[in-house]
Amino acid sequence: MRFADARPDGRSVVYAHIQTDPLVLRAAGLLADASPTQRLLARAVMNGMTEEPGVWRTMFPTLFGPGSPLPGDPARDRSEAILEVSLEVAGRGEQARSQYRGAIVEALTERLLAARTGPVRRERRILFDGRPAEIHPYDVTAEAGVRAEAWDCKWGARGIKADVIHQLDDARRGAIDEGEQLLVGLVVFDARRSCEVRLVRERGSVPLQSLRLIALESLDRLAGRRTS
Amino acid sequence: MPTIASLIERALEGFATLAATAEPVDSEIQYVADLGTVWEARLRAVAEARGADEADPEVRDAIDALVAEAALIADPHRAIDWLSTLPQVALAALGEGT
Repeated sequence: MRFADARPDGRSVVYAHIQTDPLVLRAAGLLADASPTQRLLARAVMNGMTEEPGVWRTMFPTLFGPGSPLPGDPARDRSEAILEVSLEVAGRGEQARSQYRGAIVEALTERLLAARTGPVRRERRILFDGRPAEIHPYDVTAEAGVRAEAWDCKWGARGIKADVIHQLDDARRGAIDEGEQLLVGLVVFDARRSCEVRLVRERGSVPLQSLRLIALESLDRLAGRRTS
Repeated sequence: MPTIASLIERALEGFATLAATAEPVDSEIQYVADLGTVWEARLRAVAEARGADEADPEVRDAIDALVAEAALIADPHRAIDWLSTLPQVALAALGEGT
């Protein structure tokens, strides 16, 4: 088993600009140390309609309401910063914001994973002797250590599709065939409950225990941290 | 003062509005139905446990804002995404986990 850079194509050239956009990096940095509710705020705002921040503050009383931390408190300031950056993403327009959201989940995954293991890479293919290479690269990989890791990142549970699940499982089985271990999984910026509904429908013959699912509530596990 | 049960009913009305908006996406009818099944069960479990409790005004305002936001969504694909988002936000406002 070996890892290789993905072959650049038209999509990757365009997408590379979004991946390195300061807005993506700022959002990922804020979300890396955020609470589950702050991450949920980002999810709602980035796919919401309302551009008025006051409406979102009303919708999240535990972050901005009477009993929440006061302005100046680091937790409150982070909530405000996440609201601001999320509105900026939402303001990019329908087409662009979907690409920004995907890039943010990937960048967030990279940051969290790097807190536990490394080196962490993006857009990598996994090659096995005697097997044709998969066309689509894996979003985030950790390639050192006893057990390498390959993660596919999704904004929402709806992005979990049979072809993604099968590609991850094929890689896991390819590693086993070569006497190696590869942890494969999905990082989804959505509730576990919605992801499980989708996984059950899309998994086909793939055993669910072979695939790690990291959902919105448990993103900190990527970093080796207990879920707050 | 509204009760937790009445706010959950409001949230479920918002959910139903989103499901109706999502209806034109034929390929996701089953997924939409499945989301309805699991999230309604979760919200009703909260109503069962705390339904008679009075809700704080800020929680009432949060659910009102959430349902109003759901009503603004006209795109069926965005509505599908929000079918997962709305219950999570409602539960967070109610101080419940997902």
